[in-house]
Amino acid sequence: MVSTQDPPVQGLGDDTDQEELDETKKNNLVKHIICCNSPEDVDPAIKFAQEQGGKFPKKRPIITGFTIKFPKDNISTMSDSKHVASAEIDQDPRHWRSIQVRLTARAPWTSAVIAEATTTTTLNAAPMNLLWRPLRLRCRNAKGHYLCQLRPLASYSYSTSARRPSPPTPRWSHPPSSTVISDEDVASLASKPLHTLSLADLVKHGRPPLSTDALLSSANFTLSLLPIRLAHRIQALRNLPYIVVSNPNISKIYNNYLHSLSTLLPYNSKTISNLEDEIRFTDVLADLVETHSHTIPTLARGFLECRKYISPAEVTRFLDEHLRARIGTRLIAEQHIALHLSSQPHQHQSHTKLQTTDHPSSYIGVIDTALQPATIINSCGNFVSEICELKYGVRPTWIIDGEPATTFAYVPVHLEYIITELLKNTFRATVESGRSHEPVIITIAADPETPRGMHNAFDQERKLGDSPLNHETRYNPSIKPFDDPAPGVTIRIRDRGGGINPEVLPNIWSYSFTTFSEDDELPPQGNGNIDALNAISGSGAGGSSIAGLGYGLPLGRAYAEYFGGGIAVQSLYGWGCDVYLRLKGLGRPKG
Amino acid sequence: MLRSCSQNGQRVVGLSAGYGSGVNGLSCHVRFTHGPPPWRPAYSLDQWVAREARPISLRQLMVFGRTLTESRLISSANYVRTELPARLAHRIRDMQTLPYVVVTNPHISQVYELYLKAFESLRRVPEIKTLEDNAEFCEKIGEKLQEHLTVIPKLAMGVLECRDLMKPEDMDKFMNTVLRSRISRRVIAEQHIALTETFHHPRHPPDAQPRDSEFVGEVLVKCNAKEVVTRCGHEVAALASAAYGSSTLLPEIKLSGHLHATFPYILSHLEYIIGELLRNSIQAIVERQRAKPIQTERPPPIEVTICEAPQHVIIRVSDQGGGIPRDILPHIWSFSKGPRSRELLENLNQVPKIAATFQELRVEDQQLPEATEATPHASPYLGIGAKTHAATEKLASLSSHQGPGTVRESSLATLTSRPPNLRLGMGLPLSRVYAEYWAGSLELHSLEGYGVDAFLQISKLGNRNEQLTMRASMDAV
Repeated sequence: MVSTQDPPVQGLGDDTDQEELDETKKNNLVKHIICCNSPEDVDPAIKFAQEQGGKFPKKRPIITGFTIKFPKDNISTMSDSKHVASAEIDQDPRHWRSIQVRLTARAPWTSAVIAEATTTTTLNAAPMNLLWRPLRLRCRNAKGHYLCQLRPLASYSYSTSARRPSPPTPRWSHPPSSTVISDEDVASLASKPLHTLSLADLVKHGRPPLSTDALLSSANFTLSLLPIRLAHRIQALRNLPYIVVSNPNISKIYNNYLHSLSTLLPYNSKTISNLEDEIRFTDVLADLVETHSHTIPTLARGFLECRKYISPAEVTRFLDEHLRARIGTRLIAEQHIALHLSSQPHQHQSHTKLQTTDHPSSYIGVIDTALQPATIINSCGNFVSEICELKYGVRPTWIIDGEPATTFAYVPVHLEYIITELLKNTFRATVESGRSHEPVIITIAADPETPRGMHNAFDQERKLGDSPLNHETRYNPSIKPFDDPAPGVTIRIRDRGGGINPEVLPNIWSYSFTTFSEDDELPPQGNGNIDALNAISGSGAGGSSIAGLGYGLPLGRAYAEYFGGGIAVQSLYGWGCDVYLRLKGLGRPKG
Repeated sequence: MLRSCSQNGQRVVGLSAGYGSGVNGLSCHVRFTHGPPPWRPAYSLDQWVAREARPISLRQLMVFGRTLTESRLISSANYVRTELPARLAHRIRDMQTLPYVVVTNPHISQVYELYLKAFESLRRVPEIKTLEDNAEFCEKIGEKLQEHLTVIPKLAMGVLECRDLMKPEDMDKFMNTVLRSRISRRVIAEQHIALTETFHHPRHPPDAQPRDSEFVGEVLVKCNAKEVVTRCGHEVAALASAAYGSSTLLPEIKLSGHLHATFPYILSHLEYIIGELLRNSIQAIVERQRAKPIQTERPPPIEVTICEAPQHVIIRVSDQGGGIPRDILPHIWSFSKGPRSRELLENLNQVPKIAATFQELRVEDQQLPEATEATPHASPYLGIGAKTHAATEKLASLSSHQGPGTVRESSLATLTSRPPNLRLGMGLPLSRVYAEYWAGSLELHSLEGYGVDAFLQISKLGNRNEQLTMRASMDAV
């Protein structure tokens, strides 16, 4: 509907018109990406494809190929042509459109978003979706409509899963295709060292609203980091055993990464120097964030299916590294998107003036410099207890003691994710042990402002970090806080839910699917029979997400550890459980 | 110090006649020159190192001691006779593999000599065949137990002085192994002495079936966590009000959970751990309270939760004493590192002997001026001389009518004493060594700015073997 006003297409963006939309719907057409061996081959290949029944061909110079729509499962005939190097189904046709609509058609902003929101809520997990509302509302002023992009992945599963059509399932033996980008590109990018991200990097462009110059420099900074990070991930995936990457789920993730890198590559050789470019770049970032929102459950399912061929230890190592790297990558991308939305030029253009100048926001991008943990605990507690009431008919209660008024600098979405995961476990145990009348006691402890002798401890930590033996630090450079003695908080969640069985205890931090035995039945895929526990245990209830694969806790810990915090669980079996969440504050940015 | 030595000396005479060489033995070690220890042929040691320790469990100790006959006593003596030199030999070998520069440290080399001497003397003991042999043997091991009271402070000082010469992890690993082995030797030695005493006690019937509340040797068959916590709580409170002044408001100790949980345990071990945990909590709370301008309110209580699971009993001690500062937290389990090592070293210099029992904590008049001087952070002693430690009195009364069925103290419990709020930095690591020794665990979680939760897990059934090595040092054995 907006294609006519579009600037020339640079990437693989969607430029669908109404006729095409109708036809696609009617004949159940699927978009395919065809890559050719050379530019001269493109025209003959299009001709060939049209003879095969393809419709709506569009040239894509960037991949030396084109996209074309076929009726489902028609693709095998394409590979017969000598002009065609590879042919694959576009994994994710829908989001292109929505983002294109959002960012290019400025006038119909609101209607596009509303249209999308409607599709979002029409899934079977609708109650959860609505329940997420309070969480979103809290940060709406600072972040606006992009909030759906900024939530951590757990909540994505509620909103994105049903919006996408169920992914076409390639045959198991289908080798992963990598023709979109050349191996040299990946290799040269992956050989560059990973920049050790520091929080100072994220805020160095100043407090929002950013000026045009600051925004552009943020964009260029983001651009300088992301392709390298993606290439490193691609490299790690490529080093997995062939049989594992051939699995459709893992193959899908692999292709997602290739795809994302291919969308960034056109920008790689140039700097972003005007707002038009910046908008398109942000567009690409938004796509990246969304494309990868589903990575973890898909990978989990893939590794589960491959558990005969790869050891749990290897899976755990890969996932740990992947998760942590992913948190950083998303943070970089989300930070720029958030800065983009709250920047001067775009606020000016935006019809909904989101940020009122009389209330200076405590946010810098996705970082809240005055985050009150008690507020997050209450909103997450409300959300989780709502689910409990829905599923069990009981509503566990909680009491916050210690220092509820304390604030610190942190990324609210991370805290939301962690707290929600922890409360799910706590509330579930409380309800199931029949002690829902006993409130959960949540103690918030704030570090004293000036602890004595601070520097020793931090020097020690740094020394540890520098040691070449420290695998985790070497591969997953975590973020340095703004200033070292930044006050943090410790949150203790104490319940009377009967504790954790000592037999289960050693496994609570593993991705629980790694402890499935080879003969175990796989949990049902899809919406089949999702019971209360699975719904509550956070795997989401949507189409391709996986119920009951228990990665909430390890993922929560990955988030906590990202900024140098941690989670510890102490079980009193037969009595209850204490969970300690330690979060290092991010400090106050200098200047 | 002197007073307590002589006072308790009399008591030991009661259990192993002819005592008296202990003090002399000590003085000869102090005279040691501080060069490297002389070289000795390693042949006899190699033979003993080749023998593996035969671990025992609490249940074995109980079953063995329940029906005591002469032949059982003799076989117990022979177990101890071969086990002590074997276990010593392993530790001597451990020390021999330390870097040369560490063993030449005066404190470490004194411990080394002490161990070698004990090993040489114990390995020469011929097989025990009669009760007379056994009496002689008991005397000998009693003597060794006394001599070795200086080991902990010496090791601790040595480790602190050598902290730059070895990797702290290796140092702690060494320390843990040595201390755990020390506990194990003392357990089997003291158990044997206690069994001998029981056997010779006039009221000992030939086929006595002890009631559940009783001791079998050193093992308390039904150790009740609640009672231990309550008793230690009272004593710690008494110590605190003696140290900080009787006007100081002390926190209440609130008990909850499965209060009837019992398990077999060596009472002195449990008392030491619980005592240290409560002492840490009260100390933190009181010092936090004092920092406040107004001290009229009673500080928040220490909450102790006892949880009984099928295999374990877990005791959780939660206080609101402000937590552990971040700079100290990484070092709380370490014997050697941390920013406070200098201060600790000074404090250790005042404590020549540590038996690592709870009863040795007391306020001693003659130590007070010294202690106050050396510990700038310790609060002044306000109740000088006003309080005597309850344990001393209890002990005096106990020693007169000791026998099976009465609560008894560890035979060496009161030979040492130290001021209760002198920080040695050893309470937590030693408590953990004790806890892990009987296959338990001790964990700590600090909520900085709020308080600390400590979790002591005890293996409830008593069927777990003593843990002679740490998991980390398994490969080194």
